[in-house]
Amino acid sequence: MAKKIIELKNITKSFDGQVVLDDICLDIYDNEFLTLLGPSGCGKTTLLRLIGGFETPDAGDILFLGQRINDLPPHKRNVNTVFQRYALFPHLSVFENVAFALRERKAPREEIEARVEEMLSMVALTGFENRSVTRLSGGQQQRVAIARALVGRPRVLLLDEPLAALDLKLRKDMQQELKKIQKATGVTFVFVTHDQEEALSMSDTIVVISEGRIQQIGASTDVYNEPKNAFVADFIGESNIVDGVMLADRSVSFSGHTFDCVDGGFERNEPVDVVVRPEDVDIVPEDKGMLRGVVTSVTFMGVHYEVIVDIGGFKWMIQTTDFVDVDERIGLYIEPDAIHIMKKSEYSGLYGDYASFSNEFDELSDAESEAEE
Amino acid sequence: MKKASKVFTVLMFAFLFAPIAILLLFSFNEARSLSVFSGFSLKWYRELFRDTETLKTVRNTLVLAVCAAGISTVMGTAAAVGIHRMRNKYLRSALDMVTNIPMIDPDIITGISMMLMFVFVSRLLGLANSLSFATLLIAHITFCLPYVILQVLPKLRQMDASLPEAAMDLGCTPWGAFWKVELPELMPAIVTGMIMAFTLSLDDFVISYFTTGTGFQTLPIRIYNMTKKTVTPDMYALATLIFFVILALLLLSNLTDREDSQRIRAARKARRAAKGRPPMSPRRQRALYTAGGALVLAALTASLIFAVTETDDKPQVLNVYNWGEYISDGSEGTMDVVAEFERWYQRQYGRPVQVNYTTFASNEDMYAKLSSGAVSYDVIIPSDYMIARMISEDMLLPLDLANIPNAQYISEDFQGLYYDPEGVYSVPYAYGIVGIIYNANVVDPADAGTWDLLWNEKYAGQILQFNNSRDAFGTAMYRAGLDVNTTDRAVWDDALDSLMEQRGVVRSYVMDEVYNMMEAGEAAVAPYYAGDYFTMLDAQAPTVDLRFYYPDPTNFYIDAMCIPACCQNKTLAETFINFMLSAGPAIANAEYTYYASPNTLVYEDPDYIDEMGPEAMEILYPGWDDFARQYNAYAYRNLDAETLDYINTLWETLKIN
Repeated sequence: MAKKIIELKNITKSFDGQVVLDDICLDIYDNEFLTLLGPSGCGKTTLLRLIGGFETPDAGDILFLGQRINDLPPHKRNVNTVFQRYALFPHLSVFENVAFALRERKAPREEIEARVEEMLSMVALTGFENRSVTRLSGGQQQRVAIARALVGRPRVLLLDEPLAALDLKLRKDMQQELKKIQKATGVTFVFVTHDQEEALSMSDTIVVISEGRIQQIGASTDVYNEPKNAFVADFIGESNIVDGVMLADRSVSFSGHTFDCVDGGFERNEPVDVVVRPEDVDIVPEDKGMLRGVVTSVTFMGVHYEVIVDIGGFKWMIQTTDFVDVDERIGLYIEPDAIHIMKKSEYSGLYGDYASFSNEFDELSDAESEAEE
Repeated sequence: MKKASKVFTVLMFAFLFAPIAILLLFSFNEARSLSVFSGFSLKWYRELFRDTETLKTVRNTLVLAVCAAGISTVMGTAAAVGIHRMRNKYLRSALDMVTNIPMIDPDIITGISMMLMFVFVSRLLGLANSLSFATLLIAHITFCLPYVILQVLPKLRQMDASLPEAAMDLGCTPWGAFWKVELPELMPAIVTGMIMAFTLSLDDFVISYFTTGTGFQTLPIRIYNMTKKTVTPDMYALATLIFFVILALLLLSNLTDREDSQRIRAARKARRAAKGRPPMSPRRQRALYTAGGALVLAALTASLIFAVTETDDKPQVLNVYNWGEYISDGSEGTMDVVAEFERWYQRQYGRPVQVNYTTFASNEDMYAKLSSGAVSYDVIIPSDYMIARMISEDMLLPLDLANIPNAQYISEDFQGLYYDPEGVYSVPYAYGIVGIIYNANVVDPADAGTWDLLWNEKYAGQILQFNNSRDAFGTAMYRAGLDVNTTDRAVWDDALDSLMEQRGVVRSYVMDEVYNMMEAGEAAVAPYYAGDYFTMLDAQAPTVDLRFYYPDPTNFYIDAMCIPACCQNKTLAETFINFMLSAGPAIANAEYTYYASPNTLVYEDPDYIDEMGPEAMEILYPGWDDFARQYNAYAYRNLDAETLDYINTLWETLKIN
C-alpha cells in the first residue's frame, strides 16, 4: 500500500449558512492521479481550496503526512495549484512566471535557470522564455501554469478544471500530456472536473461528489461497472436504472421478467435499483427477447446508434451497431453479468429513465452548468 | 459627407485650441496689450521668473498638488483594495456609491462644508487659526480620493481574483502577493489616478478658496485676485508653461496605458535580448521600482517639510491681506516690498519675520473671509465704505499711532474723512478718482470736459459705460447733480431714465475689457480711474491718442491700511504699516500701482515727480481745494440693503430692455 499524503477527516464547510461540504473523509496516496468528479456546485472546488489552504474547514481536520495543517497558510504548504483560468502573472514573462516560486525561495540563479529550462522543456515551451504570457494561446498558457506549479517540486499538485477552457481536440491532447507529466514527475495529482469522460480516461482513483457528500471512491472501472447508487450510475456514463426486487441471490425481477444476475447479499424480496448500461443490451427478434418494446427514436452517433425503446411505459436507451427502425417492435436480451444491482438510496427514482431524453436537451443543460461556474 | 465630417473635425480642433494658441502667441508679445502684437519677446517669461510672489504661489500650488496627489493615491489605493475585498455585497455597493458623491457634489458645496467643518473642529479644540496649509491639504485629498478610487477599483474588479492566490500558492505571504502581483497589475490605474489627482489639485480654485488659511495662497487664487487690475502678461507666460506641463503629464499617463507599456516593455526586452543580455530579473526590476518609489517619497517628504517649516516653524509671522497687484512685487525691476520688509526687520530687530502675503479680489470677498472667523490676518487694506462697515461691526482695532510715526506724513487733506473721522482705525494707502478717458484722434477736445461726453450722440457706438450698477448710476447722478448716496427711490428712477437715454450711444458695458478696447481704438470714450488711464496709455496702438480729464463732481475712493480684530501680533502689524509709509516702499508702491498716494513723502519727492512726469502728476494730484469736503460729499457710501436691492432691480431693467 502506498503512503498516505493527505487525509481529510470529517471535513465540514458552509458558506452563508449553506452547507457546501458535509462530513468529507478522504485519503490521498502518494503518486496517484485522483479526480474529484461531480456536477457544478457539488463542492469539489471548495474541497480543492481547502487542501490548497485558501479556505479553512468549519469542522474536521486536514492532515499532510500526518501533520494537521488546518490553519497553515497557502504559502507554507508543500502543495501547488493550477488555477481554472491559469492566473498567470501578466506583468511577468514566461520565464519569470515559471521562476516565481524559486525566486520566492531565493534559490541561486544557476538553479533557477536550470529548473525553469527543465520545466519549460517538459511542457514543450522551450524558446518561449521571453514571451509575454498575454501573447500565448490558451494551450500554451495552460502549459506555463503547469510548469509554474511544478517547478517547486510540490508533493501534491491541485488542478482546478484546468482543461475546461480548451477546445475538444486540445483538451484530449492535454489529457494525455497531463497523465504523462504525472507519471514522469511522480507528483500526486488532485484533479477537479465535471467531465466524467475526462475523469475515466485519466484517473487512478475517482471520487464522485454530489451535494457536498462523497458518493463513491474507486478506480475508474469500479466506479463505472459497479456504481454505488443511482446518482453515480447516471453521472458516469449512460445507465438504464429500473426498480427491481431481489428474489434471491443471483436472481432479480424487473420489468415483469426474472433475470439471472451475478450479485448477491441482499435480503429476500428486497427492493433494489437495477442498472443496465445501454451498450450491454442486445437487440433480438421480438419473440426471442426477454423484454419486448417499441422503438420510439433512433439517433446516429457515428460509431453506433442510440435507440430509445418503450418497455411498458419505461424508456430504455440502447447503444447498438445494428440498425432498427422507429416503431419497430423488438426484443431485448441481457446477459447476467450486464446487470448491476444497487441498494436503494435517496437518489432512487431520480435518474435512469430516458422518457424526456434528447441530445439537444442534454447539451443545453451542459452549457448552462458550465456558464454557472 | 466625408468631407463635411473632416471640416467639422478641423473646426472642432480650432475651437478647442484657439484660446490656447492665442495665449501662447501673446505670452511672447513685446507689448502689454492684447490688441497689438508689437514683436516677439521673452520679456514676460523673464518677468515671471522675477515675480517672487507669483513664484511662491506656484511653489505652493506644486507642493500642495504633489502632497495631495501622493497621499490620496496611497489612501485611495488602500481604500479601493479594502472595498474590493469586502464580503458584504450591500455594504460594498453602498461604500462604492458614497465615494462617488464628492465627485458629483458641486465644488462650492464641498468647499463651504469643509470650511465649516474645519472652523467647527478648531473651535472645539480651541485653536486660533482654524484654516491652514493642513486644512487645504485635507480638502484637496478629500476631493482627489474618489478619482483615485474610481481608477483603481475597476482595475481590481477586472483582475483575476486568483492572481493573489496563485502568488500565495507559490510561496508569497499575503503582503508579498499584494506587492509582487497585485500592485504591478494595478500600477497603470494607480499612476493614472495619481496624475488625475495631481492635475485636479493643481487647478482647483473653488475649494481652495474656502479652505486655505492665512498666508498660503495657490496660483488660481492669486490669478483670480488680479482682477482689480488686468491680468498681467507674465500670467500668459505662466499659463503657457502650465499647459505644456499638463500636456507632458497627459502623454505620460497615456504611456502607462497597459497596451502601450507592454509594447514598450516587449521592445525593451527585445533590445536587451539582441545585445545578448538576460532578461531583467524581477529583483532588478524591484530595485528599480524601489528606487523610483524612494525618489517620489523623498520628494514628497522634502516638500512637506519645506511646506511645514515655511508656514509654522518660524516664530514671527505677519499675515497681510491685500488686493491683487496692489503692492510693488519686484517685477520689471521694481522693489519687492514684502521681501524688503523682511530684510529690514531682520536688520532692525535682529529677529526674522515672515510675511504671508495673500490677496483678495473684492471688498466683499475679504469681508466674507474675515467674518467667517476661519482666518486671522494682521494687516488688511480694504476700501472706505467697507472700513465704515467693519468699524460699526467692531471688526477693526484702533491703531496705536505711537508705533506708526510715519503717519504724520499723510497729507492733511486726509483728515476728517467720513468713514473714520478721527483717523483712529485706518491709515490711507492709495486713492483714486474717476475721470473720462477719450481718444483725441476721434473726439473733438472741445466736446470734452464734462459728463456730457458720455451722452454725446456724435460718438454713438464708441462710448463705453461701467458694467456695474453703482458706478454706472454714479455717472448719471454726478451729471445731473444728484446725491449718489440717497435712499430716495425717485432719485434713482431719474438716474435710470438718464441711463436709458444714454443706452442708444453706448457700445457696451464693460469692466476689464475697457483696457483692450481703448488701447486698440475700438472705443473712443470711457469713464475709468486715473491710475488705470496710465496703464492704457502705455499700451495704446499707434493710431490712438488717449487723453484724460476729471468731470466735476466725480467719484473718489480711498483704500486704507487697517488692523482687523483677529490680529495676532498688533505691534508687528503697526511696524509693517509704518514701514509701508516710509519713503522707499511708499514710492515703490505708488510707482507700481499708478494710483495717487496720500503720502507727502511720495508726491513731494523729486525723483517720484520726475519718474511720473508732469502730465501724470497733474492728473493724479490736481490739487483739490478742501479734499475732505469733496470726498465726503461725493464718495460712495455703504447703502442699506433695500436701496441696494432697488438699484439692482433698476440695473437689470436697463440691461434687459
